[in-house]
Amino acid sequence: MHYCPDESALILIRHGESMWNEKNLFTGMVDVPLTKKGIEEAIEAGKRISNIPVDIIYTSALIRAQMTAMLALTQLRCKKVPIIMHNESEQAEVWSQIYSEDTMKLSIPVVTAWQLNERMYGELQGLNKQEIAERYGKKQVHEWRRSYGVSPPNGESLEICSQRAVAYFREHIEPQLFSGKHVLVAAHANSLRSIIVYLDKLTSQEVTAIFLCKDYFQCKTFCWFITSYLPSCLIDQVISLELSNGIPMLYIYKEGKFIRRGSPVGSKEAGVYAYSRV
Amino acid sequence: MPLSLCSVFFVKWKVPHFLINKLTSLLVVLLIFRMAATAFHQAVGTLQPHGYVNHSDFHQEFGNVSMRLISNSIKVNFGQLRRGSYCSRERNICVIEASTSQTSVFDPVSSPSNNTTNDSRKKSSEAALILIRHGESLWNEKNLFTGCVDVPLTKKGVEEAIEAGRRIGNIPVDMIYTSALIRAQMTAMLAMTQHRRKKVPIVMHNESEQAKAWSKIFSEETKRQCIPVLTAWQLNERMYGELQGLNKQETADRYGKEQVHEWRRSYDIPPPNGESLKMCAERAVAYFKEQIEPQLLSGKNVMIAAHGNSLRSIIMYLDKLTSQEVISLELSTGIPMLYILKKESL
Repeated sequence: MHYCPDESALILIRHGESMWNEKNLFTGMVDVPLTKKGIEEAIEAGKRISNIPVDIIYTSALIRAQMTAMLALTQLRCKKVPIIMHNESEQAEVWSQIYSEDTMKLSIPVVTAWQLNERMYGELQGLNKQEIAERYGKKQVHEWRRSYGVSPPNGESLEICSQRAVAYFREHIEPQLFSGKHVLVAAHANSLRSIIVYLDKLTSQEVTAIFLCKDYFQCKTFCWFITSYLPSCLIDQVISLELSNGIPMLYIYKEGKFIRRGSPVGSKEAGVYAYSRV
Repeated sequence: MPLSLCSVFFVKWKVPHFLINKLTSLLVVLLIFRMAATAFHQAVGTLQPHGYVNHSDFHQEFGNVSMRLISNSIKVNFGQLRRGSYCSRERNICVIEASTSQTSVFDPVSSPSNNTTNDSRKKSSEAALILIRHGESLWNEKNLFTGCVDVPLTKKGVEEAIEAGRRIGNIPVDMIYTSALIRAQMTAMLAMTQHRRKKVPIVMHNESEQAKAWSKIFSEETKRQCIPVLTAWQLNERMYGELQGLNKQETADRYGKEQVHEWRRSYDIPPPNGESLKMCAERAVAYFKEQIEPQLLSGKNVMIAAHGNSLRSIIMYLDKLTSQEVISLELSTGIPMLYILKKESL
């Protein structure tokens, strides 16, 4: 694998199907695990990135993202081992210490952060669409889902979610990339989209349009919608922002810029992804 | 429920040699095995319509309340009962080796002849305890001392967890306890993808007020379909201190073979800055008694996904093993063990 020393890779993976995705319930920060399908999606994602070097991993505090990362990494070809860092207490930190230099060299630290969690949906958590429409009325639900700045009761707006996710990214993850480390982030639709919006330096108008379109992907009316309502410059952005479950999204950080490279297709095919050689 | 139940479960019986005490004990063991095998078939046969296990042959009571911890019907050890005429110090690891998940140990929900009286009687008098040791981790594969280092599963470990899930697919689970380490948590979550009951495990977050508030569920109906998952460091693997991350060769080089042998084989000698098995047992059993036992006593069916040493410690408590016995107790990875707790009041 050839790569430039002044480039670092950033891989974003949205977790696979969870048990509440399957039941069509608002999940938010409720800590729901993956379904069988979600497990397969994670493993498939792992196959696509099996050749990409990874030096450090960030996940949310929710099991579906952590499992996605750990399952994906079972496919890793290099012999490094992900190790979850425990800083929740003195004891946890001391008890998880490693005493061999060689072993440490072959370790990939995994840092868990609630700031990468899914958007917190407040009083909608655990409800299904029908229940919500009955309880709050369709108009209100429409507003919560479609707007950027409006929060559901006791929940986060998209804006608030973005703020804490991007703040974490800038404070903890960016420095790693700047120093040449290759990073994997396994998280959720809204936290990852927030990061992508930041990486792509999108305007707030574009952001609104993108989040608006989130629910229209793969819908039959989608093409009609985007051609009718969006300026053409946005169409590319919108389409490429689709974060399917379990499909990794690759960025290269080079010379102060983030360049989106699309979804790696794995080791068998010549894919979109290729490191450039100086 | 058809008698094909009987053929679904066959139980592996392990009796360590040093416990077989002369010929009498051996005969007793064989006799009990035969009786138990019959009782097992009968018990399994009666489980469906009546929803409870009947073991009058092995039953002893004392005091006003007797609590018995019986593993899948061949159990001869009782938690707090007086020893009987058989060798009750024998260790019985009853292993679930169901070839299919079509039938169950007890399944009052699916039993057509079950009625609410039986169901509530079953709820208050009986509870299942499933113990699962996690499958292969990435350091098991490399032969490194793992301890409390948080290492995930290999592909094989993932498969083992899923297979374990198939074996317990029909056993009701009301609560899940795991350690704070991902390999045990993943084992539990992977196993539960195979569960037939369609309840959803939800990991509880009590690490901060915010975490608790943010993970709240706002639908009663959804809550009823949830299985709380509690993570606890007290169920972690034994902490191996300065051996963590070292392989066997490195360890022998650094400390000498004899010393390493002593750490591995003794009950109460800890490695440098680590835990002895005794220390591990103390915190694991304390947690079990404080948090898990009350659940079982209130009729909740519990699954624990943990590690070799924390589970051995719990089994030591359940089966009243001596320290010598627990040292030689080997638990298979990914093979679930079932205990049935039966509480009776006189």
